[in-house]
Amino acid sequence: MVGPVGTARRARPRAAAGAVLLAAVLAAARPAPAQTAREIVDRVDRMLRGASSRADVVMEIATEHWTRSLEMRVWSLGTAYALIRVVAPPREAGSATLKAGDEVWNYLPRVDRTIKVPPSLMMGSWMGSHFTNDDLVKESRVIDDYDIAIGFEGERQGVAVWEFVLTPKPTAAVVWGRVVQQVRKADLMPTWARYYDERGTLIRTMTFGDYRRFGSRLVPAVMTVRPEDKPDESTTVRYRDLEFDVRLSPAFFSLRSLQERR
Amino acid sequence: MVWWRIAWRNLWRNRRRTLITASALAVGFFGAVLMVALDDGISAELLDNGTGVLTGQVQLHARGWMPERSLYATIDGDAGIDVGALLARLRAVPGVAAAAPRVWAGGLLSAGHQTEGAVLMGADMSLEPGVSRILGTLVAGRAPRAGARELAIGSELARKLRVAAGAEVVVVAPAADGSTGNDVYRVSGVFRTGLDQLDGSYAVAPLGALQSLLALAPGRVHEVAVRLPDPWAAPAVARAIAAALTDAGHAAAGGPLDVTVEPWASFNPEVAEYLQLITASNGLVVGIVFLFAIFGVANTSLMGAYERRREFAVVRALGVGPAGVARTVVYEGLALGVLALAAGIAVTAPVLVAWHHTPLNLGWLIGNLELAGALVRPVLRVQYSLHGPVMGATGLLVTAVLAALYPAVRAARVPPADALAGR
Repeated sequence: MVGPVGTARRARPRAAAGAVLLAAVLAAARPAPAQTAREIVDRVDRMLRGASSRADVVMEIATEHWTRSLEMRVWSLGTAYALIRVVAPPREAGSATLKAGDEVWNYLPRVDRTIKVPPSLMMGSWMGSHFTNDDLVKESRVIDDYDIAIGFEGERQGVAVWEFVLTPKPTAAVVWGRVVQQVRKADLMPTWARYYDERGTLIRTMTFGDYRRFGSRLVPAVMTVRPEDKPDESTTVRYRDLEFDVRLSPAFFSLRSLQERR
Repeated sequence: MVWWRIAWRNLWRNRRRTLITASALAVGFFGAVLMVALDDGISAELLDNGTGVLTGQVQLHARGWMPERSLYATIDGDAGIDVGALLARLRAVPGVAAAAPRVWAGGLLSAGHQTEGAVLMGADMSLEPGVSRILGTLVAGRAPRAGARELAIGSELARKLRVAAGAEVVVVAPAADGSTGNDVYRVSGVFRTGLDQLDGSYAVAPLGALQSLLALAPGRVHEVAVRLPDPWAAPAVARAIAAALTDAGHAAAGGPLDVTVEPWASFNPEVAEYLQLITASNGLVVGIVFLFAIFGVANTSLMGAYERRREFAVVRALGVGPAGVARTVVYEGLALGVLALAAGIAVTAPVLVAWHHTPLNLGWLIGNLELAGALVRPVLRVQYSLHGPVMGATGLLVTAVLAALYPAVRAARVPPADALAGR
């Protein structure tokens, strides 16, 4: 079978939203020592996400066969909503992805159609990147979907860190067998996350860097995903601008705004 | 020679008994040959449908195409190849009837609010029918036109998308340049092959249209499917093709190609395994048929030998060794076998011919079956082959001789003096 790998237009915004969330997850602790792992992760999550956000993002995808760069604008509201619109290059401009709850919609400006990503393709690549559609939907749910334990607490290369082991709850529809995330204790910034399948094989690694302030919040401005089976390939998401707690209503995340070519 | 004559004469000493015994063997032959021929019919049907609907009997891919079926793994690399020249080289290989290039991709089809994942196949609309029947199974509409943005889709896929021939669908697929290929296609036709996988998720588009959607140059194809008149020749023809394409002597015609050339057994292992099973069961069937026959034949043969105790004693008294006596009994068995074989052939041949030309259609009783990923019509037809009659004849003659061995030993051991004295 030819696995339908590439799905429609995957909205970049999700990835960005995902990154924000992950970063949040990782960053959470302004640690009161008695915090549980779950509380810390939740705090990181909230910090990185904010109630809402608007971001300008550049995504660079490098594969064995091509490299490309996409500029995107991303809006998010809570964990439920995200809208990602490609701004450049011109050929892709107008392509957009809407995440509303568990659903992912893609807008194709060339044919002026909106397509809902079917469940069977949620694991497909989003916009040809190393993110999946599922990443857009699921990253917001770390606290709900995983049991979280501290796997390591101490110094790594002179930096005090936690390493959280995230194990999917039996009822959670999660594709990973296990996720391990490292968070710096000092500022609650995530440094990396490793994704394992059910057999314990490392599938991909996400690394965070270029920690900087946008407004009052410190966030990792760069996030890179690298698939283990293709170490020469990667997708890097870089925040150019990030604004938290912007005024957005759920009505903004509609199919109609998905199709607006702004 | 004299022993043969004696054996032959002895055979007719009790005509009725001989005829009955010969009949048993002939019926055994009839049954064995017919069952093998029926199995061969099923095998041929399975093979024909397993490879004829879509895959062809031999396939050519870039090395590294399997198992990932990467969009980028086109024949002869990213630069592509002169497809016309490649096809000409393939058709020049003896045993090749036709060849057709293909492009494969995974993508989405969307119509209205329905979106489904699909396997997209780009096919040369004029060459494809020479290799596969998929476009011959249209139940609505027509095949896509070369060059047009049209699709033929499986009936189950059409049902899931809630479209009929003539409808528009959006096709979305990741393209080779990293972009997301998307375009509006018209469903020109709906096919129903009877195979769930094809009907439920396959969409066939003209080669050029799909290549442009996928940002693949016209020379970039993933597969060349080859049809052979004789599917059983696939391994040999595949080797011949591989040799022809990698032969340095053909360098002028495009140079050695880094491709894999596989016979259907490689990409259709279920069918291959099923056929092996059928072949193995043939031997078993023939064995069982003649196992039944052997006791009947041995019985009559033993009685015949026993009746002639005095005769054997006289022969022994005249100076013939025990081996000579044994030989005549074995010859007798062999003669019986030949007689039975002649009768068996006389009975079997017309039935085989008649059945071959008018297959028994059980379609009214049971619908089409999907077996090992291949469609099988419930039509009992018989297939001519050499191995069926050869197996049957071998089984028959071996049975006749084996059945004569024990009586032969008994006959050889007749003590002349005692037998003549009536003791």
